[in-house]
Amino acid sequence: MTSSSPAKSLGARRWVPLIALAAVAVVCLALPQVLSSYWTDTITTWIPLAVAALGLNLLTGYNGQISVGHGALFGVGAYTTALILNEWHWPFLVTVVASAVVCFVAGVVIGLPALRIKGLYLALVTLAVATLFPQILEQFSDTTGGSAGLGITNRELNRRGVMTDRSIRFEPPDLALLSADDAKASSQWRYYIFLLVAAICFLLVRNLVNSRAGRSIIAIRDNETAAEVSGVNVAAAKVFTFGISAALAGIGGSLSALELARVSSGTFTLVLSLNLLVAVVVGGTPSIAGPAIGAVFLGFFTNVITPEFPEDVKPLTPLILGVLLVVLMLAAPGGIVGMYRQLQARLAARRAISQTAISQVP
Amino acid sequence: MEEFISYLFIGLGNGAVYAMLGLGLVVIYRSTGLLNFAQGEMAMFATFIVWTLADSGLPLWLAMFGGMFGGFVIGVVVHQVVVRPVGDPHQKPLAVVIVTIGMFLGFNALAKLIWGADDKTLLNLFGRSGIDIFGTEVAWQKLGALAVLAIEAVIFWMLFQRTKIGLAMRAVASNPESSALCGIPVTRVLMFGWGLATAIGAVAGTFTAPITAVSSNLMQLTLIYAFAAITLGGFDSFVGAIVGGLLVGVLSDVLPRYVDFFEKMPLAPAFILILVVLLVRPEGIFGQRKVSRV
Repeated sequence: MTSSSPAKSLGARRWVPLIALAAVAVVCLALPQVLSSYWTDTITTWIPLAVAALGLNLLTGYNGQISVGHGALFGVGAYTTALILNEWHWPFLVTVVASAVVCFVAGVVIGLPALRIKGLYLALVTLAVATLFPQILEQFSDTTGGSAGLGITNRELNRRGVMTDRSIRFEPPDLALLSADDAKASSQWRYYIFLLVAAICFLLVRNLVNSRAGRSIIAIRDNETAAEVSGVNVAAAKVFTFGISAALAGIGGSLSALELARVSSGTFTLVLSLNLLVAVVVGGTPSIAGPAIGAVFLGFFTNVITPEFPEDVKPLTPLILGVLLVVLMLAAPGGIVGMYRQLQARLAARRAISQTAISQVP
Repeated sequence: MEEFISYLFIGLGNGAVYAMLGLGLVVIYRSTGLLNFAQGEMAMFATFIVWTLADSGLPLWLAMFGGMFGGFVIGVVVHQVVVRPVGDPHQKPLAVVIVTIGMFLGFNALAKLIWGADDKTLLNLFGRSGIDIFGTEVAWQKLGALAVLAIEAVIFWMLFQRTKIGLAMRAVASNPESSALCGIPVTRVLMFGWGLATAIGAVAGTFTAPITAVSSNLMQLTLIYAFAAITLGGFDSFVGAIVGGLLVGVLSDVLPRYVDFFEKMPLAPAFILILVVLLVRPEGIFGQRKVSRV
């Protein structure tokens, strides 16, 4: 094998991910221009899931701490946003940051006992959190609205001069910028802003895992003792990761509250936590693109494919997802991204072999 | 006081059910070393079999035995097809959690697919009447649950201490490799353990169903209570599961009646219990302390 040829082929191939990324970006930006207002709203609900799955992937995939309760943190983020908007009328995007901060603190609080409770037992505790969360919302229904839900509203005078709660939604400041149609413009506005928030989150997490801190996080997953003796502050890194992961789940929850303009205890059940786990596993872990792919897969399955099923076979969707989880774990634990990486490695190996063969020809 | 006694017996009766499901969890933990998050859903599935048999005219007792047999088969199949290929749960906890969660989703959906989304009713095994204890009426159903738990405890004790298969199960639990070298058919023993655990789940389900209704969500809360029970008692202790189950049952039924804070979250005491025990004494009351080598 000559020394220059693999380097050259590598140089050419370095552009492949960049081109792919650009293509994905173009598709993401173009979608709301092509889709109807209804479908734009539908795919907008996938973005919060992707951000929350990103957080879960950071915790579980990169750091090796299993959480079956991220749906509850998602809920905390959603309620934080709803309550702040109702009580103090902060600007919308500031509430997203506030939810992230609140959930970061919540994550640190959960992360501290998680230093002692590991592996299967942490999964057990977080499973209990996910099951308990709707009951907590029910207990404090004076504040949270319980199962009836809590609308995001603004108290104001109506035309007759009576104080009423007017439901408010995350709307664009100036409609002229986007489509002329009111409803469509506001759907597109939410989509683009959410996409921007998500892009920032994904970029930040990508930089985090590629940094020195990220290497510590991964080292802890691979061997905690080895990481400790190599000088990693294991406790601090684990608690920090839990906090960041929770903050991302909180941002997801906050965005979903802004999209729906309503929160209710029925949304944040165990099913949500399990769905986040499905998105992470199907997309692939550990990876940055995985959670996004998983969330789109999950959204596509629940919002596009399932409505096509006849009424009495609707439960087929969770059945397929459940079987998929088991099969993936047995056959391809790396999920979709893992399968792609395997394919890439196999192709690279084949290329290397053929190049060796060529270079050996006199 | 009379009120308290009535709540106490309701708690004990429910606790007996948590203990039953907990016994199944302990069998699996001891043999395969994993926390089976799908245990509740497998029990729910077996309970649907009980309902189907009872609905076709079989007496409830016989239907329950039928459900236990069905549960046994489910447990064996699940172990062979799903659990065995995954590998050691303490080496790869994530894989095991994901697989049991996958089974959770799968069994839940499969039950909905087969039996529909409507709730089904299952009658009390011990009827609707009660008996007077200290001036309060206590339902036979609750006392019956305690009696059935006692019978199960005796059977378990006999099985594990007095039979060859019980000895084999204890051997496999303590060291699978040495047991295999001694000629114990390890896989068959593990299969039996999973079958046994799911069969006993059918009994727990038969007692849970009359309180709510037979639906695909039947055992989700019961599962958390059962986990609280075995956390308190020790993950590998049968005695612990029984004592823990009864304690959790009483706590979860009595506390919410007297403490306003727990009024609408009966699960909270169990959750606090899980958290505190895992933090302070991870081996529980009766469990064996785990020693790990680096």
